[in-house]
Amino acid sequence: MIPPRALLALLEQLPEAPPAQVTASALNIARPILWPDESFDWLTGRTLRLEVLQLNVGVTLAHDGRRFIASSGPGDVRFAATIADYWVMARRMEDPDTLFFQRRLRIEGDTELGLQLKNLLDATDWELLLNRLPEPVANHFRQ
Amino acid sequence: MAVLPKLVCPAGSLPALKSAVDHGADAVYIGFRNATNARNFAGLNFNDAQVREGVRYAQQRGRELLVAINTYARAGETAIWRSAVDRAAELGADAVILADIGLMEYAHRTHPNLRLHLSVQGSATNAAAITMAHECFGVRRAVLPRVLTLPQVSHVIQSLRQADVPVEIEVFGFGSLCVMAEGRCLLSSYATGEAPNVHGVCSPASFVRWENERGTTRARLNGILIDSFAPDEPAGYPTLCKGRFKVEGATYYALEEPTSLNTLAILPELMKVGVAAIKVEGRQRSPAYVSAVTATLRAALDAAAGPGYSVKSAWTSALERVSEGHQQTLGAYSRPWR
Repeated sequence: MIPPRALLALLEQLPEAPPAQVTASALNIARPILWPDESFDWLTGRTLRLEVLQLNVGVTLAHDGRRFIASSGPGDVRFAATIADYWVMARRMEDPDTLFFQRRLRIEGDTELGLQLKNLLDATDWELLLNRLPEPVANHFRQ
Repeated sequence: MAVLPKLVCPAGSLPALKSAVDHGADAVYIGFRNATNARNFAGLNFNDAQVREGVRYAQQRGRELLVAINTYARAGETAIWRSAVDRAAELGADAVILADIGLMEYAHRTHPNLRLHLSVQGSATNAAAITMAHECFGVRRAVLPRVLTLPQVSHVIQSLRQADVPVEIEVFGFGSLCVMAEGRCLLSSYATGEAPNVHGVCSPASFVRWENERGTTRARLNGILIDSFAPDEPAGYPTLCKGRFKVEGATYYALEEPTSLNTLAILPELMKVGVAAIKVEGRQRSPAYVSAVTATLRAALDAAAGPGYSVKSAWTSALERVSEGHQQTLGAYSRPWR
């Protein structure tokens, strides 16, 4: 799934705060389903930033001990990849280490925080979330 | 008739464990969330509830769950390592993979029915060492360090058979290679004060910094520049053994180049010499890696059991895709010199 160039150009022009707020809200909704036992103490008071390569956009997120919140700035840890590569990682079609070896995924800042996040996503059972979606939508995300 | 070796695959999380089982692993090896295993990374590994679910998932499908407790107990903290053995036994693991002789003695005495495997970290490269581990602690399988040639692997197996020592031999089939001073490597410790042997982690992430500038990525370990990757160069793990250093005016891989082991070409030979299990490296990797490597080695092993085996190009490219480094090698298995 590669988004059309016009859409990317549009994304680049938009302010970052609304997407960061939408992402934080989505994570707060998903949290009790996907990570009921995760305290996120390792993320409390820290910020992480996901950037889109070749586009000067990204979202910065934080955790206040209870909820994910939209933030700003460079983040304590930063990931950068293309939208297509974020997509294949999210669908478990590619291994983040593989993309890192191939220079398609970049990480900067607090490596341990980044690794903790990567390992949380690896350990996540996405079926718990997909089970709650309408079947045709869920199947779209299943391999 | 050669016996088909068991395929032993890595898992750092439940989804990875399920991927391994679903794609044809005969056994999956995991670790607890502490320094008792050699992949002690933040957010990786299993809590008790996850081990229980992993045991259920594997055993219901006729597969085995192995728990690696393969670091050396630190002085004054042996209770943590003993407790890991107790937990593995109570949670129903099929075997524990140990390196520390003191811990083997504890496991043998406390849990006489728990199967013991000698970890690669135990660094046993000859039949005498393996025989001792069997006679003293009842070890039933030994994982050979990645420093032996194929004839040497064969010699170890023959020696054990001739002496009637019932210990199976497991060897590595695929994964990242390092300097392979297994269980004794001091390089990470030299740079960071933390070593895989006792802290369970080589190049701990808290000491690693990646710096990106105009497409070039520099890897630093506790401030030490390990490597600088030009935009078109593949990157590797930030370990001292795989770094490029300036030695007498020239900059190069002073210890070794990042490389992955790939034994597809010699699977029939490994079977012929009587290897009982083939292990895949990579508990730190994601479920996508575990699926790809398990499925490939499953297909290759099944094919190697029949006549006319040849390596399929699809297998090679599937493994190449997820490999660390510039090349895949047969490692020490193929070494014409002595």
